[in-house]
Amino acid sequence: MFRKLIPAIITLTLLLAACAPAATPTAVNTQALPSLTETLTPTPTQVTVFPLTLTDGLGRKVEFSAAPQRIVSLTPSGTEVLFAVGAGSQVVGRDTFSDYPDAAKSVTDIGGSMGKYDSEAIVNLKPDLVLAGGINPQELVSSLENLGLKVYFLANPLTLENMYANLELVGKVTGHLDSATTLVTSLNERVATVDAKLAGVTEKPLVYYELDATPYTAGPGTFIDLLIQRAGGTNFGSSMSSAWAQISLEQLVVADPAMIILGDAAYGESATTVAARQGWSALTAVKDGKIFSFDDNLVSRPGPRLVDGLEQLARLIHPEAFK
Amino acid sequence: MTKRRILPYLVNLALLLAAVTLSLAIGSVVISPSQLWQMVSGWLKGIPMPKELETFAFIISDIRLPRTVLMLLTGAALGGSGTAYQGLFRNPLADPYLIGVASGAGLGAVIAMSIHWPYSLWGMLAVPLSAFLAAMLTVLLVYSVARIGRVVPTTNLILSGVAFSAFATALTSYLIISSQGEVRRALAWLMGGSSQNNWLIILAILPYLVLGLGSLLISGHALNLLQFGDDQAQQLGLPVTRTKTVLLLAASLSTAAAVAFSGIIGFIGLIVPHVMRIWWGADYRRLLPLSMLAGGGFLILADILARTLMRPQDLPVGIVTALAGAPFFLWVLRRSKNQGYW
Repeated sequence: MFRKLIPAIITLTLLLAACAPAATPTAVNTQALPSLTETLTPTPTQVTVFPLTLTDGLGRKVEFSAAPQRIVSLTPSGTEVLFAVGAGSQVVGRDTFSDYPDAAKSVTDIGGSMGKYDSEAIVNLKPDLVLAGGINPQELVSSLENLGLKVYFLANPLTLENMYANLELVGKVTGHLDSATTLVTSLNERVATVDAKLAGVTEKPLVYYELDATPYTAGPGTFIDLLIQRAGGTNFGSSMSSAWAQISLEQLVVADPAMIILGDAAYGESATTVAARQGWSALTAVKDGKIFSFDDNLVSRPGPRLVDGLEQLARLIHPEAFK
Repeated sequence: MTKRRILPYLVNLALLLAAVTLSLAIGSVVISPSQLWQMVSGWLKGIPMPKELETFAFIISDIRLPRTVLMLLTGAALGGSGTAYQGLFRNPLADPYLIGVASGAGLGAVIAMSIHWPYSLWGMLAVPLSAFLAAMLTVLLVYSVARIGRVVPTTNLILSGVAFSAFATALTSYLIISSQGEVRRALAWLMGGSSQNNWLIILAILPYLVLGLGSLLISGHALNLLQFGDDQAQQLGLPVTRTKTVLLLAASLSTAAAVAFSGIIGFIGLIVPHVMRIWWGADYRRLLPLSMLAGGGFLILADILARTLMRPQDLPVGIVTALAGAPFFLWVLRRSKNQGYW
């Protein structure tokens, strides 16, 4: 319940911040916060008014006197969001696993495997903002704060609307509200297109999305679950009790999914290796060859590429609707 | 005191100081020796730090120094309690985690992680505190199960410890598997402790370490007597059960405090006492303080490697202690002239 409150608080704070009077009376507040479900009629440059105080995902008040120019991103999704809204040139440090877009790879690596970041390297970069995300524990936020750094915790979104709100928040803070709003609009349109194409679909084939060869699948509450359903499928993992669930092969055989999507394709799994597994040849999906490799980053990183993931899933699950 | 008697302390202290100096000078951010010298001489003379060196000075004073002190205290705790456990159980394979401190701490930490604490000082301390309390609770359970009347047989302690450890570890694994996405955080903690690194946590564990290690330091004579066996020690005038209880509690207290923030670092509690025994002999009055000094120094050196080997990756210290420590110990063992040093 607490987790659902946080995105609501962020969205509410955004709306309130838009209505708040500017600290300098001479600056005109030309900011217009768009409705998230309607198409936006273009307004000329939206400008963020500083100073700005926001409440982050941990309930902390963070003050911005200007758009940060030296940002360190602690999560791959944070890096993707920063580059997507056009703040890529303001990023001076990123975690080891930030590999998208390509330009992010040339930014200084500051650690991050097994949750351990190189605080010396972070401090040495003299950042004016550290962007933390859902995978960072609050102790990390606190210890970075103790080193005198400004940290903003971007809570994990639970829905696409939450993700849009995160994009606009980051756009606002970094001085790219315009690009962020445009991006959100185009993402909305693409999702609406997918919804429209799937409008006439009656069948929701059972999909088994594999996270790991053990086998593990994605359960309820994950974006994978959400996107599979949005893409017109039924997630086999929905019946699990936790978000990251090890399944029983017997249950899988009984359920007999229409297709298998390999999120672990990057770790060497493929249609061949799945067919070779003991007992898996009983599955219809294996017999029909309906095993597809998939880039897991598109559905596990809470950033704009979730829409890419949705489109690709929809094409896999309902190819007939996209001819 | 004769020169021979203070030599071990001098050597260990010198090694410790060398380790501390290296730990402050080396890190993932490279500071050249000339810059270091500039900072040190400037600080000694009282002249203000030049602007371009301010960040480096901050890194040394606010990142490396607390970390060095934490590693020193943790290593001392592990070395001291390892020695105490080996003396208590009269077993060369005994280590501080024998009767369940590590598994109890892991369980406590994972339980605390499954609750979403609000962002506050309490939230920050929840995981280490829980680890500490669970560790002590496990030791107390193990002790009360192993006790027969007024006697605590050593074998019973070991067996009881093994059983509780297995149970706690299994429960921890189950909680990790069924958690809602806290797997990564739990595994990171189990391998390498908390990411917190400041003076507050050092203050938090200091009372327990002072109490625990202090009690151990004055128990050297008692441990020597215990080496003769429970019966003989009793006849020599030692209140055996009471001594064992106090030693057990003191060692477990120190280990639990160390583990709460640094995670489960193996190898030091097991091997450092042996190296000290090979070098300086098996008199527990000397062995305890020497193991504490050596444990601190060794862990600091291992931590330097953990921070710099694969920069910017921070390796879990436990991996480095075993990887670097095992060959070193084997070398010491082969070179030792004593055939039966135990």
